[in-house]
Amino acid sequence: MKSNRRGYWPVIVTALAAAMFVFLFLYLEQQWEIVLLAVGLIAVLFSSARFGLLRRVELAASDHPRTTIMVNVLAALLVIVLLRNEHFALLMLATVCLYVTICLGLTLQFGYAGIVNFAGIAFFGIGAYTAAVLSLHSALPHLLVIVISGLVAGLIGSLLILPMLRTRGHYAALVTIAFGILFRTFLEVNDLLGGPQGLKVPGMQVFGWSLNDNISLGPLGAVSFYASYAVVALLLAAGAYALIKRLERSWLGLNLDAVRTDETAAASFGIDLPRWKIFAFTAGNCLAGVAGGVYAMMSGFIAPASFNFGDSLLLVSIVLLGGSGNPLGVLPAALLVVVLPEKLQVIQEYRLLLFAVLVILILRFRPEGLLPRRMREYFAGWGR
Amino acid sequence: MDPGFIAQYLLNGIVLGVIYAMVAVGFTLFFGVLDVIKFSHGDVVMAGAFTALATYAGLELLGVSDGMFAAIVITVMGIAAMAILGALLAKLLILPLRNAPPLNTLLITLMFGLALREAVRLFYPNGSNPKPFPQLLPDAAMTIGNLELRLDSVLLIVLGLGAIVAVHLLIQRTRIGLAIRAVAQDPETARLMGINFERVVLMTFALGSALAALAGITNGLYYSEVNFGMGLLLGVIGFSAAVVGGLGSLYGAIIGGFLFAALQTIGAVWFSVPAYKDVFAFACIIVLMAWKPTGLLADKSAERV
Amino acid sequence: MSGPELVVDGLTVRFGGLTALDALQFRLSAGEFVGLIGPNGSGKTTFFNALTGIYAPASGQVALSGKDITGLPPQQIYDAGITRTFQRLRLASSLSVFDNLMIGNHRNLSHGIIANLFARQRLKNEIEENVAKSRLLLEQFSAPLASRLFDPVSQLTMIDRRRVEVCRALISEPKILLLDEPSAGMTHEETRALMDDLLASRERMPGLAIVLIEHEMGVIERVTDRCVVLNYGEKIAEGSYREVASNSDVRTAYLGED
Repeated sequence: MKSNRRGYWPVIVTALAAAMFVFLFLYLEQQWEIVLLAVGLIAVLFSSARFGLLRRVELAASDHPRTTIMVNVLAALLVIVLLRNEHFALLMLATVCLYVTICLGLTLQFGYAGIVNFAGIAFFGIGAYTAAVLSLHSALPHLLVIVISGLVAGLIGSLLILPMLRTRGHYAALVTIAFGILFRTFLEVNDLLGGPQGLKVPGMQVFGWSLNDNISLGPLGAVSFYASYAVVALLLAAGAYALIKRLERSWLGLNLDAVRTDETAAASFGIDLPRWKIFAFTAGNCLAGVAGGVYAMMSGFIAPASFNFGDSLLLVSIVLLGGSGNPLGVLPAALLVVVLPEKLQVIQEYRLLLFAVLVILILRFRPEGLLPRRMREYFAGWGR
Repeated sequence: MDPGFIAQYLLNGIVLGVIYAMVAVGFTLFFGVLDVIKFSHGDVVMAGAFTALATYAGLELLGVSDGMFAAIVITVMGIAAMAILGALLAKLLILPLRNAPPLNTLLITLMFGLALREAVRLFYPNGSNPKPFPQLLPDAAMTIGNLELRLDSVLLIVLGLGAIVAVHLLIQRTRIGLAIRAVAQDPETARLMGINFERVVLMTFALGSALAALAGITNGLYYSEVNFGMGLLLGVIGFSAAVVGGLGSLYGAIIGGFLFAALQTIGAVWFSVPAYKDVFAFACIIVLMAWKPTGLLADKSAERV
Repeated sequence: MSGPELVVDGLTVRFGGLTALDALQFRLSAGEFVGLIGPNGSGKTTFFNALTGIYAPASGQVALSGKDITGLPPQQIYDAGITRTFQRLRLASSLSVFDNLMIGNHRNLSHGIIANLFARQRLKNEIEENVAKSRLLLEQFSAPLASRLFDPVSQLTMIDRRRVEVCRALISEPKILLLDEPSAGMTHEETRALMDDLLASRERMPGLAIVLIEHEMGVIERVTDRCVVLNYGEKIAEGSYREVASNSDVRTAYLGED
């Protein structure tokens, strides 16, 4: 296989354009500006898909996977620097990154292995509550607490493994739906976890440095403490993205696809269905749990009301809207779904209704999503 | 424990069981003819109750004061409106997705349910708050020890059981029932036999949704209150009941409905904090799914290889 | 190689009260090409499903190279060296031809998490070896198909899909290949071409034994060494095509003659 690589300039141009877009989207406040940007984003995605521009960018990105992630992380850091003292914008940016992380976990579960998870927000919540309890009642270093949050989410998820493995389709969907509702009700009635009032969570400390302190960075002037959390959330999302992408470009990704597309055929060719389902389900829940841990420390306060069944539906909608099985699609989808309702007070009240209608339209007329998944490319220059 | 107290729990459990069974029968009917899960079903229950409520407001404006008459009118209106809604939903959202992955249907109906819920919350006057539901049934009651036997509860149980039996007879004894069973058995053959597939599907969805409306109104009359979010839990419970009973089985749905009500009742008696009853019931459902992955009564049809 | 490769002894499969396969005796030697025929519902596919672990047999024994494999799950049957195709194609049509072949090559690939995520150079070598191997195998069936290695299966014609399915079953170099009616949905010419390619590629895999379920008697006559006839789950005849075709029980089963 000759490596006939393309240049990476389309990646850089796109990353800069995306950074400008995200900055404006978060910074501008006029309602008409926001609407224009949102409509613009969808129009650009669709038209560049139609005229093959998107394909060129995707090819360039897949030829330079490492450069792509680096460039995009740098571009996102640039956005953070530009927004350095905008508390609300930074909080939203961090929230988008955390939602991206959960949705990458769901992509692993649903997009690849075909396991429906209607309890995404519950595993996020388990991570958040674990982090809250551990940072309130123990002296463990916070980075470790976040890792444990992910592990606990994976571990509690394993309670569902037996019913998940034995059931299929609609029966399997019921298992996670029942769990999501059970979890929410449990939080509400459990006094140890603060009941409906929830828990206060101390801010994150990394190597003796408190992320909740406002900092002053020389010529940049005052920087909101949310900037630190945005960086943490960004690194988490980027790490999860790199991991999922690597997984997809390996035999592991192929095994998961085989499990999703046809269980009988997969079993007839030696693929151990339980092993790969457990792997995808647990890894996905761990990602959601880690994101939950960061979320708890960032928001300083968690309550059952943040972990509704409706939020799980929102997560599934992001995955579908982006294009099931395409991690790249998760990015614009999460940005739209998380930020748009926060920025548009006009639709704030109507946001769930609008999402419901949006998802119905997508499922009805474009079930493959904004950025449909491409063929697997095992490494740079694949198939050329 | 005092026997009257236990009887009170039992009576309450039976009313709940009837409501759940009515919802579950809808799920099982839809699954039977089309192999789909219509997840907006719970919100149809809610919309049925709100349609009845709106009708009652209209009757009040007209000055109708007779309780029984009003009860009949609002029930008929709720049932008719939901039957039409159910058929429309099948026609516009579910049938077009017939060849898509089954999960897409589940999601599109979940989203339709969300839209319905939000529409009521936003557009029904003061819809985001719980609404009192009128007490239209005779309020006679009999007190035996600690048990307060209310006439309206008994009426609701009789009405609900009657509706379920009627649906059962409709499916077993009538021509349209025969067509529904034929489609459930094998859609292709049914089509070849000259059965209008689409019509049967639409009628089944109308029938199931009508039953949902009745469940919603029963729920409203029993608790004297409805709210826009009531469908979510009722839908999940109805779905659980249908799945635990075995999708596609009418008896399974009825058994599942009463089983869920029993679990909740046991949970409520068992735990000092009554709110744990749902945690308990759903945990039991998850365990049941691990034990009987295709429900209690479903005939396990082997996949063709 | 001495003695039969596959020994099936009294294999019985029941669905509720129905006996779909009744005490079947079956022998298969290395390198043999056996045709499995019988009317619809006679238990041919059931036999394949019981052999490959999809159905659990009610009684009976199956041994491969002297090792008991009765009732093992499909995964272990595959690892032991039996692969199959399906009557109704079971390819992952959204995935590429290469991906589908690699699903078939599962037992020769590394599946460790470390090996896949963190030893990328080694993995890349393994992938490149498999690309070459896939090309070679596909070229034995169709050179144009080999050049479409990275296209999704959904874009292929019926015959190419059949070829991919056969190659998916062959790429792991099994001892026994089970073909479940590969001619379904294809023209006579296409079936003929597929069978010729199969016979040619068998030359390169000495010892490969094939069992073919087929309704086209012309195909059976041309390619098989021996035939087994099933009816109502029982073996009613066995022998060369000529012997079987003149057997009166077989004629009764097929034509309803008395």
